[in-house]
This record gives sequence, C-alpha cells and structure tokens, in this order.
Amino acid sequence: MRLPNIPGFSLPKLESYISRLPLFTRAMLAAMVVFQVVGLQHSFDVRAWGALIPDEIGFQTLYRTNTFPLIHLNAFHLVLNLLTVIPLLERFESEYGTLTSLALFFGPLTTIPALLYVGVEKHILGANTPVMGASIWAFLLFGAEAIRTYRTNPYFVISTYNIPTWTSPLALLLCMAALVPSSSFLGHLVGLVVGYIWGLGYIKFLAPPEKALRWVEGKLKLPARLPYFVSVDQKTYGRFGVLPTSTGPSSASALHLRRDPRILKLPPYLSLLCIVVGVVWLFLLPFDDYSRRTYISENALLPGQVHTYFSGSDQHVFRAYKHELHALAGKSNIEFNDKLEPIVKGLGLKTARQNFTYHAAGHTLEGENLYAILQAPRSDATEAIVLVAARENVRNEVNINGIPLALTLLRYFKRWSLWSKDIILVLTPDSIAGPQAWVDAYHDAHDTYRVASLPIKSGALQGAIAIDYAQEGRFESVHIVYDGVNGQLPNLDLINSVVNIAGGQMGMGVAIQEMWQHDNKYPDRLRTMLRGMLKQGLGLASGPHSSFIPYHVDAVTLRPFGDGWQDEMAMGRVIEGTFRSLNNLLEHLHQSFFFYLLMQRERFVSIGTYLPSAMLVAANFTIMAIALWIKSGHPEGATTGADKPKRLSTQTVERDLFLPLGVVTLCQSLSVIPLYLFNHAPDNTLTPLFAVFTALNTLLPPLLSHHLTAAAAPTEQQYHLIKSFSLLLLGMFLSTLATLNFPLSLLIGLVSIPLTFLRPLSLAPSSSSSSSPSSSSSSSLMRRRLLAAAAMAAVSPPAVLLAGCALWGVGVGDVLRAAAVAWHVCGTWTQVVVWCVWWPAWLAGSVVLLGRPRGMGTGAGK
Amino acid sequence: MDGGKVTQGRTAGLYVGAAVLRLAIFTLLPGLPDLLTGRVEISTPVTSFKRLQEGLFLYNHNVSPYDGGVYHQAPLFLPLFSLLPSFSNLPIFTYLLYIAVDLLSASALWKIADSGEAGSAALFTSPRRDKRWSGYVIAAVFLFNPFTLATCIGRSTSVFTTCAILHAIAKAVSGAPFGALVALSFATYLSLYPLLLLPPLALLCYDRQRPERATKSAAKFTSICASVVAGVLGVLFGMSYLITDSWEFLVSTYGIQLTLSDLTPNVGLWWYFFIEMFDSFRAFFLGVFWLHLSCYVGGLTLRIRRQPLVVLTLLLGIFAIFKPYPSISDTSLFLALVPLYRHVFPLMRYTFLAASVIAYASCLGPAFYYLWIYAGSGNANFFYAVTLVWNLGLSLLVCDLMFAVLRDEWEVERPEMAGKEIRQI
Repeated sequence: MRLPNIPGFSLPKLESYISRLPLFTRAMLAAMVVFQVVGLQHSFDVRAWGALIPDEIGFQTLYRTNTFPLIHLNAFHLVLNLLTVIPLLERFESEYGTLTSLALFFGPLTTIPALLYVGVEKHILGANTPVMGASIWAFLLFGAEAIRTYRTNPYFVISTYNIPTWTSPLALLLCMAALVPSSSFLGHLVGLVVGYIWGLGYIKFLAPPEKALRWVEGKLKLPARLPYFVSVDQKTYGRFGVLPTSTGPSSASALHLRRDPRILKLPPYLSLLCIVVGVVWLFLLPFDDYSRRTYISENALLPGQVHTYFSGSDQHVFRAYKHELHALAGKSNIEFNDKLEPIVKGLGLKTARQNFTYHAAGHTLEGENLYAILQAPRSDATEAIVLVAARENVRNEVNINGIPLALTLLRYFKRWSLWSKDIILVLTPDSIAGPQAWVDAYHDAHDTYRVASLPIKSGALQGAIAIDYAQEGRFESVHIVYDGVNGQLPNLDLINSVVNIAGGQMGMGVAIQEMWQHDNKYPDRLRTMLRGMLKQGLGLASGPHSSFIPYHVDAVTLRPFGDGWQDEMAMGRVIEGTFRSLNNLLEHLHQSFFFYLLMQRERFVSIGTYLPSAMLVAANFTIMAIALWIKSGHPEGATTGADKPKRLSTQTVERDLFLPLGVVTLCQSLSVIPLYLFNHAPDNTLTPLFAVFTALNTLLPPLLSHHLTAAAAPTEQQYHLIKSFSLLLLGMFLSTLATLNFPLSLLIGLVSIPLTFLRPLSLAPSSSSSSSPSSSSSSSLMRRRLLAAAAMAAVSPPAVLLAGCALWGVGVGDVLRAAAVAWHVCGTWTQVVVWCVWWPAWLAGSVVLLGRPRGMGTGAGK
Repeated sequence: MDGGKVTQGRTAGLYVGAAVLRLAIFTLLPGLPDLLTGRVEISTPVTSFKRLQEGLFLYNHNVSPYDGGVYHQAPLFLPLFSLLPSFSNLPIFTYLLYIAVDLLSASALWKIADSGEAGSAALFTSPRRDKRWSGYVIAAVFLFNPFTLATCIGRSTSVFTTCAILHAIAKAVSGAPFGALVALSFATYLSLYPLLLLPPLALLCYDRQRPERATKSAAKFTSICASVVAGVLGVLFGMSYLITDSWEFLVSTYGIQLTLSDLTPNVGLWWYFFIEMFDSFRAFFLGVFWLHLSCYVGGLTLRIRRQPLVVLTLLLGIFAIFKPYPSISDTSLFLALVPLYRHVFPLMRYTFLAASVIAYASCLGPAFYYLWIYAGSGNANFFYAVTLVWNLGLSLLVCDLMFAVLRDEWEVERPEMAGKEIRQI
C-alpha cells in the first residue's frame, strides 16, 4: 500500500517535513505532548481522567471518547504513536482541509470507534479494559488508506497467489497484537473497521458540508490569519497545493550529485590530499602534542625496585673467564664449544649443543650453538628467560666482553634462590643464523634437514636479553636494539624496563637507533623515528634478539658504547635488574604496546596515532581505483567531448573485464621470476644478474605495451580498468601490510605515488589531436613516450634500490646477499612485498602510461 | 567472452589444465597443502582433512573414530579413504581423488549452465537471457577461482558436499528428479545443511519434469520427494551404523553442527557469539541462529517461486554467510553459481563494491589471524572484525543478485519501466 510520501531519511528533509506540517496535525502533536508533560506530575492523574474506561462512560464523562487518543501510557508509547500517526494525519488533513479534520476527529471518527469499543468490551465481553493512545487513529487511517490502495491496485502477488491489498492493515494488526504485549487488539480492530467504513464512503455524510466550511473560512479569513492552515479549497489543487514542496530536483540530491560531471574530476585531488595529509601527519608525530611519554604498564615488572648485588668478587671471575676466552681467539666454533662446555657444566648447569646449516646465496652458513639451562629453584620449568651472547655481533666484531659477562652472570645467578623462571644461556657463533636456528628448534618449527633438534628444553620463553659487548674499556651508555625480523617489535614494557633500570637506577645513558647524541628536540626525534622506520621497513635482523620476536618472545640486544666510567659490572647489574623484573612477571608481557614508533628513549607514538598516515597513503590508491572503475562505466567521450553534458547519465556501459584482469594477472604472475631469481642466485652472480635485470626491466614495459596493442588493441576503457585493478590490488596489499609492518607499507606507498596519477600518454590533453596525424605531433608523441618510459624506469624498484645503495654507500651485491640470507634464514618477507606488490603495480602502471587506446569514441561496445 | 565454439579439444583442455595446475601445486609446493589445511578459513572442524586423518587412524586401528572428539565427519568417508593407499606414503592418490571431485563439480556446473535454466525457467523467461556465458566459461571460472583452488589444495572434505549439491541441481534441471534427490541426500548426509535446499530443489525438479513421466499433482510429488530423501538418508545412516557399530556418529557429526560444541574460529558469525555467550542462553540462541538460517528457505521459495534455481543460488550464498561452520569452500560454491546470472549483471549495482570488500577481507583475514594467534599483538576481535567485513561483502553480493533478479522479473510485468530509475520507499 502507498505510504505517505516521507522523503528520504536525511535531516534537512526531515526538518523541512516537520516545518510543513499543517495546522491540525501540529495541534494534535502539541496536545499529545502537553498531556504527556502534564502526566508527569502526580497531583492530577491525567490518565485516570482522560482514558476510555468502559465502566466510567456516562453523560458526564462523554468527553473521554474524545480525549483518550491524546493521552498515552508513557513516553515510549507516545513516540511510537506519534511516528505512525503524524504522517497519516498530515496526509488526511492536507487532503480534506483543517476544518474538516477538526470536525471529523473531534467528532465521528473518534467517538464512533470509542462507543463501538465500549459497547463490545462492556456488553459483549463483559470486561473493563481502559484504552488510550493515538494508535486507534493510526489504524483508522490505515484502514482508509488500504481501501483507497485497493481501488487502484487490488492485489499484490506473492509467488503465484493474489492477495487483496486491503488485508495488509490486518496483518499489521496481528503483528502488533503479537509483538506488543499491552496493546489492545479490540481497540485497534474497531479503529480499523471504522477506517474501512470511512474508506468505503458509507459515512462520508458525517463530514461537514463544504459550502458551510467555505463560508466559515471566508468570514473569519482563516487561511490568512492562521499559519499552516489548509483551506477546503486547497484540496482541489492536490495534496501539497499551496504548501511549499520539495519534490523535484532536490528530492534526489544524492542522485543529482552522482550525475554531476565534476564528481569524476575530484578523485585525483582527493588522492593527492590523502598523500599530503599522510606525509604531513608523519612529520607531526615528533611534536609533544602527538607523541606520548612512555610508562610501565605491567605492574608486576617493578623495574629498578631491587638492589643489585652483582659486583665485588664477581669481577675476578669475569677476568678469569675473559682470560680463558682470550686464548680461544681465532679457534673454530667446535673447539670453542669444546672448551666452554665443561666450564658451563662446571657451574652446575645442564648443557647441550645444536648444529645448523643454512644455504643462502651460494653460501653455507653453518655452526654449532651451545646452550645451558639453569633450573629455577622455585618453579617447575614451565617458563624461562633467555640470555644470549653471540661470539660475533652483527658487524662481525668479536664479542670479547659479552661472553665472559654472560658466563659470570650465570655463575652469579646460580647462587640465588629467588628465580621463579628457568634461565637459559645461549652461546651462538654468529648473531643471525645461530639464534634463529636455536629459536626455531626450541619451538619445533625448524626444518630438520638444516637445523638439529634441541636435546633438552625448558618452558615457554618469557623474554630474552642479548649482550653485544665488543667494546674494550669503560663505557658511557647503553644502546638498546629492538627491531625484530619483518619490523616486529618487542613489547614496549621491556624497553621501558631497561630504560628505567639503566637510566634511572644505574644512572647511565640510554640510546636507541644509533642516535649517540639526542637532545630530545624535534630534529633528533624525527631522525630517530625515521631511522627506526627504515630499519623496520627493511625487515632485516638487527641482532641476536631479532629472531625471538616472531615467536612472541620479547627480546632486546644491549650494547654498551661511548667513553665513560661504567665498567663491565655495571652492565652486568643492568642485566641482573632486567632479569629480576622479568622474573616477577605473572604472565607474558601483554599490557603495553606491540606497535609503536620510538622517537626518544622515553617518547613514543602508538599505532592508533601513526597508522592513519600509512592508511591514507594506501587509501589514495583505492580511491583512484574506485574512481577509475566509475569512469570506465561512463560512455566514452562523455567527459572529453566538445559539448560537455550538464549531467552524466547513471546508465553505465558494459565493461569488458577479461582483458584487464588478464593483464593484471600476468603482471602479478611475472613477479615470481625476480623473486625466485634474486633469492636463489649464487652470491657472485648477484651483481651481474641485477644489471641484466635492470636493463630488461627498462625494456619490458614498452615491449609489453607494444604486444598488447598489437594483439588486443585495448580501448581507453580497458586501460582504465587495468589501472583500476592494479591500484586496487596495491591499495589492498598496502593496507594489509600496514597492520603488519607499518614502515614498509608507507615506504612502498610513497614510492608508488606516481602510479596514481598515470594515464595513457596519448590521452594527455595536448596530444588529443592525435586523430589528425601530422608528422610533428607524432614525433613529439614519440619523444614524450621515450621520456615517459625513462621517467617510469627511474621510479622502478631496481632503480630505487640502486639509488638507495648509492645514498648509503653500500654495494648492490651486498644488499642482495643480505636480503637472500634474510629470506632463507629469518624468513624476511620484504622481498615478497617488493617483487610481488610493488613491481607488478609498477609494471601495470608503465603499460598503462605507454598504452595507445584504440580509436577514441568508438566505444567499448561488446 | 562468448566462449567461442566449444569443441571436444577445448573441453579436454580446460579439464586437463585445471587438473595439471592442481597437481603442479600439490607436487611443486609440498608445504602448501599442509599450510592450507591448517588455515581456519579453509578447514572447519566438520571438514578438516587433518581431523579426517585422525579419524582414519582410529578407524584403521579398530577404535571408534569419534573417540577423542576430533573427528566430526560422516562415517562413510572412512572406508572411502582407507580404500586409497595410505596418505603418508602415497599422497598422490588422495590428490587425484580431490582433483577428480573438483572436475566432477565443474562438469555438473557445465550442465547447469548449458541447460539455460538460469535465463528461462519453466514459469519465467527473462527478456535478457540471450546474454549469457557458455558452460565452458562458467566451468573455467569455477575451476580457476582462487577459493576453489585453495579448498582443493587444502583438501577440505566440503568439496564432496559441493560436488553433490551441484550434481543434484544438474540432475534436477535435466529432468531427473530421482537422481537429484539422491544427490541431495548425499549432500545432506555429508553436511546436514543441504537438507534446507530440499524445497527449492523439489520445485526445480517439479518444474523440469519430463512431460512423458510428469507427476502433475503437487502433493503427490512432494510426498515422493520427501520419501526418496528419507529413504536414501535411511540407507546411508544404516550403512554408517554398520561401519561404526553405533549411532554415536549422529551426535558427533550432526550434533556438533546443531549445538556448535567446537568453537574453533572460522569465517562465519557463530563462533564469536557462542564464545561470548553465557551458558544459560546457549540453547536459546542456538535455536534462534538455526531458525534464522532456515527461515530464508520458505520466504525465498515463495517469493521467487518462478525461478527455483535463483532460490538455490541465493540460499547457497546465505548459507555461506550464516551457516554454523562456513568456510571459503561454501563461498566458492556460491560464486560458482553466480556467473549463471550473467544476464542480470547489468542490473546489479554493487558488484565492484562487493568484490572489493571480499578481496580486502580475504587479504586482511589471514593478516589479522596471524596477529592474533602467532604474533600475539592482536586479539580475537581483529579476526572477528574481518569476518564481519567478509560476510558483509557476501551479503552485499547476495542482496544485489536478489535485487537484480527481482528487477528483471518486475520489468517483465511493467515493461514501461524498463531501464528507468526507481526508488524504493
């Protein structure tokens, strides 16, 4: 059935609707609200006074038959009834006029159902249920409407059955009775019956004669005096005869907006805005207003709250160990372990060894880990903390002081009875492969062909501290290295604890991200943050701790630096304090942040603050993809034609999806080739291979574009779709990546920005005269194509890699080898992102840029 | 996109191509099948291949496969898989079985497409029916759909259900009601929920009966359908009883679907609700969820009475969203049937949106699951939020398809409105 025409659900429309409500409807609305407000006080019970109570009906109380629709049980009842009655009443009034409505609703249309109800309830059912509320009007008007609908549109069809439309209020009635427990079925029913009768016209005679009304109106000049008054005459002009109307253009403003050709011009600017805001956002982060001071979340840690006793005679032990190890300088890994194992056993610890062999970039990385477990006197070996000391650090310096210090600490720890977690000492030959092999095997996630299983184990690892102490002599500060593989980070609480213990308790300096000097001002903060982002974006292992983090074991490497007065014992006390804190943990570190950017040792931004910047950059691609999709659906030439149409049609042309999908799939699948090549080529061939690849890579887009034009001759629409799909994929991958490795996503997003703003060269405005091929314009087009190919080559992944290497002064071969090692040993996925996300998007973008759409205006027609 | 001439060679090429691709993935990437088998998006407690192995081990050692509460699949899988050479020694036979099942599904889909039922049903003929894809294209879309591939590589046993449902529909459109009902009974036996497809499938069979042996009376036809399904199910249950020597399997296979006692996460909407729920409300909400799932059957069957295949398609889409243990395999079945409606694609309004949402969700889902389970830096809400988005995308697609089909029907009734903009009030 036709419901009153409530335009849309937008607020302005609602306002305009309310402002156009006619007089009687307004009055009734006001009356109902007033009665409700009066009902709030207790001295005069409005409900008892006005409700329709069958037993109370007499001559004195006939007013009840008129007041009861205006009184409601509670606010909820009122709101519900208002929502249904107001539109219906408004419709009735604007059709019959204000005076008629007044006469009818304070006369027959209220009293008849009321008396009918009283009659049935009292005399037939013998009950006495009071009723109130405007729902009786609602049903009455529903009934009248239903009859009218029935006249124009007698049936609606459900599958093959015809159902008369006048029954629909009955269904509503039954639903109401079933769903709203306190509703009066009989009350609603009599309303409905009277509504039907009114609709059928049997009681039309009750309405006051028009002539009389017109006379009254004329005499009293009612239409002029009363606002919102609906005259009897107005009804002849239709429902909204004189009232302001909003039907027409504004009723479909959303549709109107959709058809505006300007809407298609917007997305590039929107994309640009996203990028600009994203980048600016990033540079705002170091300000005090955006970053926060760090704090310890996990109460159990209590960093720096215990006395540390590591000193005194332990210094002699340290010197003795150092002396022993000095003799082992230059010895092989096995000899080293042969010598050390009895020493560790002598401390009363269980020891074991583990072999590992990795093959990467034509090299073999092999070695043997030695590890020992100190069993906690106060627990059952369900949890453990790890102390790692590698024989060589990541810069291939010998860890001269680190290993003796670790041994001394273990000897010292053994004397204490307060450990509630096992302590595992891991001595590895190098800083990357050894720890990785050990952690993999500890979690049974190793490949048994390359890495031996561990003969003895302890409980779940709760944390790990690695010592990188290659410096001789006294030191000034401690450098905390915290970047894990693939940009994963340890829980911020661990870093905070170390900062607290080293900086607060021991009084030594603490540095992060190789910022040896830090004045805690904007430039230094920014530099720290960007360094951290670059490291996390590259995703390489930065120390022995890196391998632990993917297994959800929070770990950092501590490295003393500078020239000061702190000695080895101070370093040992820092580690002791940290271990005491970790020992306190009741559960895994989980309270504090896992995603953060540190910009000073005590300042950070959390994921909620920095994520929008990467997401905005990723969103720019998605926006453009959506815009291109919409654009590809418009008839060609609509935007470039000479006479620009005022509005675009919402009718879309069919899109031919298969060629674009094929091209994008091809680009994506080609990406497996560089990924495989660079991860499996031997070390010495990496540099020449890279040179050959770069050359081929420069030639690939023109070649691909040429073949594409020759084989399929894509239309402009298809080029739009190629770009749309490729950008959609890029945006999708980058926003996913932003949740895993924010800096990498941001970096790739930034270097891919040109891809957003590409379009086929021959579509560029100045060359739109390509339909008239003159030699000069075609040669200029040729020159522009060459230029474009060169520009694209400049932002290609290999070129960016080369530029990066030149900037930091490292060899390409070294970078590629490090990447291959990281891929095989640590499972770094940076390569996958570069070759399978960035490179295909670049390739597809280049193909689009060099594309020559088939004769414009011929349409995509298929 | 017309598919060109479908020759014997092209047909064979498609099937061989699909088979070779699958075999190549199985053999060249040996780690991938096990990785995919472990993914919650592919393997649910009622379809997991790992759990099947467990059940098989117990079965082969004469222990009840349902001991230990790991195996929740139909008992007849056990003799089938124990007939194959052992998976640990000769996995190739298992691979071949799964590949064959996928190809069988594709051939059923091909039959459905070629019947033209989607464009011109017995009671309704779409004016747009000329624009359609051939069976070749539709089978290719199914076979090379990444979701289908992942399901096959992950060796989820839901491929058998998919195959049975597609065959039921294929039989129904080719006028073989008995075969259709038997296939549906098999699907029901394997996964329970296909029983809800019985009303529209019976209507499809009824509409598509061969005139020479048609049963005109609707009541008679209904009773025949019901009795055939009941009979076949009875036989299957009897065989299962003989195999396992107890009726325990009923509780372990269908009971778990009805009561959701295994709360392993999946792409559906149930697990999170029932993790959060207090036990006292559990029974009530189980009732509500099942009622919700089944209430679509009656409404859609009545409303789109003239196109039963549409009802089947929409219901499969709805099941892929609201079933107790959905996986991407259910999505792949729904997506297999959607291309049959090529003729109403121009009427659909949100294809790009739905496709993007589904693509985004399938990218973010594994990432958030990783953050939750492995990295420990996320939590269950991350993954659940993505499953919500995923299901939103699917429901957009279902609604949009329904809109397009209804609009198509409506334009036949009101030819003057064809192509005009309409507004829903």
